[in-house]
Amino acid sequence: MTERIAAAAGEAIDRRRPVSFFLDGTPAQAFEGDTIGSAMAAAGVMVTGRSFKYHRPRGLLCMSGACANCMVRVDGVPNLQACQTPVRAGMRVRRQNGLPSVDFDLLRAVDRFSVFFPPGFYYKSFYRPRFMWPVAEPFIRRAAGIGEPPDRDLEWRDYEAATLHRDVLVIGGGPAGLGAAVEAARAGARTVLVESEPALGGRLRFTRPAEAERLSAEVVEAGVEARTSTTAFGIFEDNLVAAAGPAGLVRIRPRKIVVATGGLEQPLWFGNSDLPGVMLAGAAERLIRLYGVLPGRVAVVLTGDDRGYECERMLVEAGARVTVLDWRKGAVPIRAEGGKQVRALVAREHGAERRRECDLVVMAGPVVPASGLLAQAGAKSRYDEFLQAFVPDALPDRIEAIGTVTGRGSFALPEVVATKAKTFACLCMDVTTKEMTTSVEEGFDSIELLKRYTTLSMGPCQGKSCLAGCVRYAAALTGRSVPETGVPTSRAPWRPVELGLLAAEHFEPRKESPLHECHQDLGAVFIWAGEWRRPKQYRETSDECRAVHERVAIIDVSTLGKFRVRGAGAVELLERLYPNRYGDLKVGRIRYGAMLNDQGVIIDDGTVGRLAENEFFVTTTTSGADAIDQWIKWWMADWRLDAQVVNVSSSYAAINVAGPRARDLMGRLTDADVSAAALPYLKLAQAEICRVPAMILRIGFVGELSYEVHFPSAYAVHVWDSMLAAGADLGILPFGLESQRILRLEKQHIIVGQDTDALSTPNGAGLGWMVKLDKDDFLGRAALADDAARGLQERLVGFKVDSGGLPLEGAALVSAGRPVGRVCSSRWSDSVSAFIGLAWVPVEMAGEGTPLVFRSGGAIVAARVHLKPFYDPDGARLRS
Amino acid sequence: MSLLVPCPNCGPREFTEFSYGGETKARPKPDAPIEKLAEYLYVMRNASGTQQEWWYHRAGCHSWFLARRDTVTNKFLDSYWPEDSRRVR
Repeated sequence: MTERIAAAAGEAIDRRRPVSFFLDGTPAQAFEGDTIGSAMAAAGVMVTGRSFKYHRPRGLLCMSGACANCMVRVDGVPNLQACQTPVRAGMRVRRQNGLPSVDFDLLRAVDRFSVFFPPGFYYKSFYRPRFMWPVAEPFIRRAAGIGEPPDRDLEWRDYEAATLHRDVLVIGGGPAGLGAAVEAARAGARTVLVESEPALGGRLRFTRPAEAERLSAEVVEAGVEARTSTTAFGIFEDNLVAAAGPAGLVRIRPRKIVVATGGLEQPLWFGNSDLPGVMLAGAAERLIRLYGVLPGRVAVVLTGDDRGYECERMLVEAGARVTVLDWRKGAVPIRAEGGKQVRALVAREHGAERRRECDLVVMAGPVVPASGLLAQAGAKSRYDEFLQAFVPDALPDRIEAIGTVTGRGSFALPEVVATKAKTFACLCMDVTTKEMTTSVEEGFDSIELLKRYTTLSMGPCQGKSCLAGCVRYAAALTGRSVPETGVPTSRAPWRPVELGLLAAEHFEPRKESPLHECHQDLGAVFIWAGEWRRPKQYRETSDECRAVHERVAIIDVSTLGKFRVRGAGAVELLERLYPNRYGDLKVGRIRYGAMLNDQGVIIDDGTVGRLAENEFFVTTTTSGADAIDQWIKWWMADWRLDAQVVNVSSSYAAINVAGPRARDLMGRLTDADVSAAALPYLKLAQAEICRVPAMILRIGFVGELSYEVHFPSAYAVHVWDSMLAAGADLGILPFGLESQRILRLEKQHIIVGQDTDALSTPNGAGLGWMVKLDKDDFLGRAALADDAARGLQERLVGFKVDSGGLPLEGAALVSAGRPVGRVCSSRWSDSVSAFIGLAWVPVEMAGEGTPLVFRSGGAIVAARVHLKPFYDPDGARLRS
Repeated sequence: MSLLVPCPNCGPREFTEFSYGGETKARPKPDAPIEKLAEYLYVMRNASGTQQEWWYHRAGCHSWFLARRDTVTNKFLDSYWPEDSRRVR
């Protein structure tokens, strides 16, 4: 069996192109076009793996991806179906579940002592005595399961995800699917067809290869987009079909789905039917016709219809000696015999038991509709008494079924003869007829309970090669009819899929400021700030902070959310969106404000500047920009005020110029009067800067004299570079987010989202001054009015560490052994020469100087409440 | 979840392009008792059947609109702008 038979028309392998790979560390030969499964068969390897529970040797069964017998580990990835995985040069294939090896498995003993593994044994055994569990657990873990986790050092693989919108999707490239696709395409529909195998034609590929080729050519000619090696594994709402393709996930959204998934050959039930060398007719036919491998020299074909005789002919032509046992003529299989390969078959023939020596048993039994995808889509099925099978009945809108999936041929089975040999109902999960009987006797007599208790049909094949038989067997055990017994719910995935595929590429936006390249050139270290890549620092933060405090420094704040609000209803809109008052804001003035939701919780903060009577410039935080855009639009849609809100976040770049020499620098860049008298704190000017039209806002986050300059983002690089050049003699430096965070903490300026959470109200956060409860209405007003009546529970306060080091952000404030608060920001400050931070504390601990104890990691940190800003507490420098 | 959401501007699009705004509710008047606010914020009708709800086409036209959806079958009946006469207040 280690040699190939003469080449046949239409075979899948290319005999001129040998491929070598490794099987369990040993070099093995194959041809281009081989799957790992066919290569193993060609090499005479009969045992493809060991079974899940009893560690019995298993071999090729279906060769069509419908069972779990041939799952192997390939290059560190477990549980790939050998019969579906093409051989690649140099690939390392390991057979699974053998201890120490698949050919010699010590755990085979489990099979001999299976009396200790009744159904639900993990509920029943090892449970008592308790002290035995630690002894039993490692053994159970070693013995059970399929495969092992992937190698840790696996090469990273990116899975792609593609989305296709088409008129018609045909699932299945057999004769029925090909015919439907051609017709749809000829009628003018954009048609895509998916086929899990690497070539089109389905069964025709090995029964009538010329016909398969003719149909495939027709499909191409008709303009059908045929995707081979692509397996549809789920149908979801609104006709979304998920498929696993060579590159990754394919999401297909067709107007109409044609399901032509064909049929599933079912194994017969007899003793030791799981021995390697016992296989389905389709597997034998594929091995012979597609891969040139004769799976056995002396074969017994078990059948009840014409398929068995077709298979006999194929085997004989390939050179095997064949006996056909037809159960219509009273030949019923009882058990197979053999160790790692079948050696004989015992059958009842004409009333007497007869043993036949053989090395191959072919099961040419019934074919049931492969209707799993249809069932997922919501198709009802009905039991067809004539076919003795469930067939799809009422189909959902926009879904059609054609071909074998609609029910073809008969599902008549030979009787299951009682034998001492294990008779398997479910191969994936190693469930025997005896276990089914025991479970029904124990009362698990509904099919759903039986399934969960014995785990039948819950393995990798998801019932494809067992469920139809199990339902019938359960019906016999319980004395119910098959339709009364019913079938368990079908769910995605219909075929096993890799987890990486499900995690395939979901868009992760990455935003960059128009100054990104400038930051790169300046050697910035970047960090993620939401979706943004922002400079964390360019050099030591102490140098950057000193530049801000002593000279002048600039920071790119283009990431801020920016809106222009105008119209007769602009004031009304802002009055409703903010708790502060804006009607009385003078033109040219700026007011800080926080936005609240109707729970009275702070959702964002920023500034509002009045550009004209009915025109405002609003800024929001970087992280909140998109959410606030959505938030404002929602209320605009609901309130229908006479106002327009334009999001100019990406239209404007913004740079903050901060430091005692900021005014000197600004004077060099603009003709506008930037003196303390003309442009004091919280005023704005519209003027040119570096000959670019800009808005200059006297606001600051870092506690020094500062100007926030907003201007069209196309000029960002020009303005940034001009500033650095003009300030060179002043000792100007760019500064990053980390320095900004230290500087703002010295001022106890809060960051919404960092220092506030979903329960933080303005009063608690020390922003109570901005809330004007005497306004008619604003978002959050009713909640805050109620809150005021209740009194405050928690407050956000500054703290300075006495001893114990830096308390981590998130560290607990502990009082009387209980957590009562938490640290939200903490940093080392050079100016203060101490660790400082902000923390939420109970109101009774919020007094100046109150000692605080934080538990941070394993350390205890002692600190004191510090209510005023650590730096420039009266704001003289900020307002200068 | 894989439904298509009918944006009145862009047509049917993948629901992952949208933000869901929940069932439509009338915001209580400023002088309403606090219980009304609690009801507005925390109590949903959670209709079994047709529901009017807010959707925002976040990865599309950036517009809020209203849609009627059958919460049992998860099928959309129609969608319209907030000023449409079909809007139920």
